[in-house]
Amino acid sequence: MSSVADATVKKSITVNAGVKDAFAVFTEGFDTWWPRSHHIGKSPMKEAIIESGVGGRCYTKQEDGTECDWGQVLEWDPPHRFVMAWQITHEWGYQPDLSKSSEVEIRFTAQPGGGTRVDLEHRHFERMGPEGDTMRVGVGGPGGWSGLMDMFKAHVEG
Amino acid sequence: MVTYPHAQISALNDPTRRAILERLLKGPLPVGELARDFPISRPAISQHLRVLKHAQMVIDRPAGNRRIYELDQRGVDALRAYFDRFWDHALVAFKKAAELRSAKKRA
Repeated sequence: MSSVADATVKKSITVNAGVKDAFAVFTEGFDTWWPRSHHIGKSPMKEAIIESGVGGRCYTKQEDGTECDWGQVLEWDPPHRFVMAWQITHEWGYQPDLSKSSEVEIRFTAQPGGGTRVDLEHRHFERMGPEGDTMRVGVGGPGGWSGLMDMFKAHVEG
Repeated sequence: MVTYPHAQISALNDPTRRAILERLLKGPLPVGELARDFPISRPAISQHLRVLKHAQMVIDRPAGNRRIYELDQRGVDALRAYFDRFWDHALVAFKKAAELRSAKKRA
């Protein structure tokens, strides 16, 4: 049985754009590319926003006029990297407690020829364990699987 | 190629079924004990369990005259694979947007 630590998601992609453009599109241009189905609101998503700077809100605006927080910026080093908390609870709602949230780091590295490599790491799923029970983190166990469920749910519920 | 886990997603799109899975995360249970925890009829619980079983989210086995339900690793694995693929999907969309902006500036 693999552990939740193994569930860390690491992704890389190289884009044919400069570092500044890549960073800008990822953050201020978040709404232009974020999949419309991926939010935790009760009504369809209208706009997806990552506010710039440490403490910036990550949220969506819904068609019913509500706003739905799902994270916040933890580290901000434009145009090279930023880290955001991924604040989803066991009840598949907003998790205000950062100590129970996973996080996503995105790094932007200039490539020879003008492109940018984007490295993404989504980690610390173990923090999402129920009631701080972070030791029982096997994916087949409560903490780990609940964590994955939280994420999954957040991603697919439209 | 990871397929989109339609069966798992639709199975999860119900608060009672999610609650059933939450209960089974703690360990296997006979259907009678599961039913006791929910304010709905036992046939209704059985119907939810059928949906979960069809989605490979739970498996059942006989134990005497009872049926024991527990989580099915296959459904869990399907969700995990989907979850991993999620960022692939999002990053491809990001790549298009970034390159569009870059191309516009060069034009």
